Amino acid sequence: MSAAASIDRDPATQVRVVGALAERALRVQFRRAQFLIPSFLLPLVLLAVIASGTSSARHLPGFPSTGAYIGFVVGGTLMQGALLAGITAGIALAVDIEGGFFDRLLSAPVHRVSIVLGRVLAGGALGACQATLFLAVAFLFGARYQGGVPGVAFAIFLTALTAAGMSALAASIALRTGSLSLLQNLFPIVFVLLFTAPAFFPRDLLNGTMRSISEYNPLTYIVEAIRAALHDDTALGSPLNGVIAASALLAGATAIAVWAMRARLRAE
Amino acid sequence: MPADDSAVLVEDLVRTYPGGLRAVDGVNLQVAPGEIYGFLGPNGAGKSTTVRILTTLLRPTSGRALVAGYDVVADAAKVRRTIGVALQEAALDPLMTGRELLGLQGALHGLRRGAARDRGAELLERVDLVDAADRRLGTYSGGMRRRLDLAMALVHRPRVLFLDEPTTGLDPASRAALWREVRLLNDDGTTVFLTTQYLEEAEQLADRVGIIDRGHIVAEGTPDELKGRVGEPRLHVELIDPTRNAEAMAAIAAHGHCSERESGGLVLRTPEGARAIAPVIRALDEAGIEVDAVEVEEPTLDDVFLAVTGHTAAEAEAEAKATLA
Repeated sequence: MSAAASIDRDPATQVRVVGALAERALRVQFRRAQFLIPSFLLPLVLLAVIASGTSSARHLPGFPSTGAYIGFVVGGTLMQGALLAGITAGIALAVDIEGGFFDRLLSAPVHRVSIVLGRVLAGGALGACQATLFLAVAFLFGARYQGGVPGVAFAIFLTALTAAGMSALAASIALRTGSLSLLQNLFPIVFVLLFTAPAFFPRDLLNGTMRSISEYNPLTYIVEAIRAALHDDTALGSPLNGVIAASALLAGATAIAVWAMRARLRAE
Repeated sequence: MPADDSAVLVEDLVRTYPGGLRAVDGVNLQVAPGEIYGFLGPNGAGKSTTVRILTTLLRPTSGRALVAGYDVVADAAKVRRTIGVALQEAALDPLMTGRELLGLQGALHGLRRGAARDRGAELLERVDLVDAADRRLGTYSGGMRRRLDLAMALVHRPRVLFLDEPTTGLDPASRAALWREVRLLNDDGTTVFLTTQYLEEAEQLADRVGIIDRGHIVAEGTPDELKGRVGEPRLHVELIDPTRNAEAMAAIAAHGHCSERESGGLVLRTPEGARAIAPVIRALDEAGIEVDAVEVEEPTLDDVFLAVTGHTAAEAEAEAKATLA
């Protein structure tokens, strides 16, 4: 068995490795309270606060009609979940690096890109779980999805892509710095990204500066696409633009993470 | 095609860390297939850095290292396929169970799910962890974690096994259990490269021992050869009646060189070590001399260090810490 062929170059083997690493990352995610609270509880708390505290915003002129207010803001909750899934993925990788588990992976005949992809896949799967939960909770509290099952499935898919992209981005930070405390201090960035996108308010109601900034934030196009799909209304956003933004985020962030992995190995 | 028949071949290996610390400074060593090689030294001597290079986790600054005939830099992937690694402070995820970790390790080594599950079950039995297999690692004792770490290193039946201080911090029973397992593995033909701070461990397990200090190999040989450099074990004998020391010395003179200690009592230098206790007591008994206490003093790592480096292991460790600070 030790004289096996180049298993680190065999695509089928590496697909299994990516799956096994993603499975392990998800197990740890669901068993560690410090990961569950930010990725599941925090977005739900913010959803409750925004849906109940700012619901009168829907009476503003120009606010789109999406039925219950919670049906509009749940798209922002999906984005918040995706961002937090990314940060927790980075934290989990930093824990692995600091604790030595990462060395165990490196000493195995595993293609280095598979280690990155395992983490990214787990981030995507976590994003899908979060989106399913958040949409269900919002539904229980009155949100209705005119886009039906396809609209909901599209929203979950786009959230998963975004969470995978953010996981890759956070993983690249973990790989470059190996610093757990740095990753933990990135939580406020989530809110900056969230509030510089029309996560909880329509883009038309943002003030001039914020609106200009939001045009450079890929989350803008993703959250608008999610709303468009959920409410079957392309006036709320372009599904295609959302897919392009999420895919570009995922591809770009994964490339950065692979580069960060190579840079880390070169520096050893 | 492997470039050399040795299990491990290291030539003029140097590793300098940023800041200029030369952790490994011109190490040369060779380990034959099927051998257990003990790599002995205090903390900071360069043991773990050498092992990290040999297991492809760290690049050498200069020099060459081959494992199973493959270069650790040019053929790193081939090296990884042939080695098993259990690093210092078993880095095991406390939130996963033993069975899950073995399954993951199997997947990392290219086993399909079913094969990984079967191999995991076989190894759990081998390291006596069947009952704890589905418990999270956070509930394992230090000895159980080390045993699982060893099992994980064996998933793919490696030709060369690297064990980095596998028994540090373990109680004597756990240490003995791990030693037994290492011997069994070696009987099956696995080459073992073992780093340790304990001379006793090297003596128990290793066919040959290399002693590293400040990044250099300062002595190499079989445990007996190394012990020979630091003198023979000593038996400290206390008599009930110290005025009979001279008689006692005559009675046990056949077992080694005996002398009186300044603090009282006798010291017998004997190559037999602990094996001399029974005959010495018998000889004194036959001479009608009552014994209060007998204690064996075996050569320690400090003795070896003192003999080959001129300073103790503790001094070397303190110096390494100061350099890192």
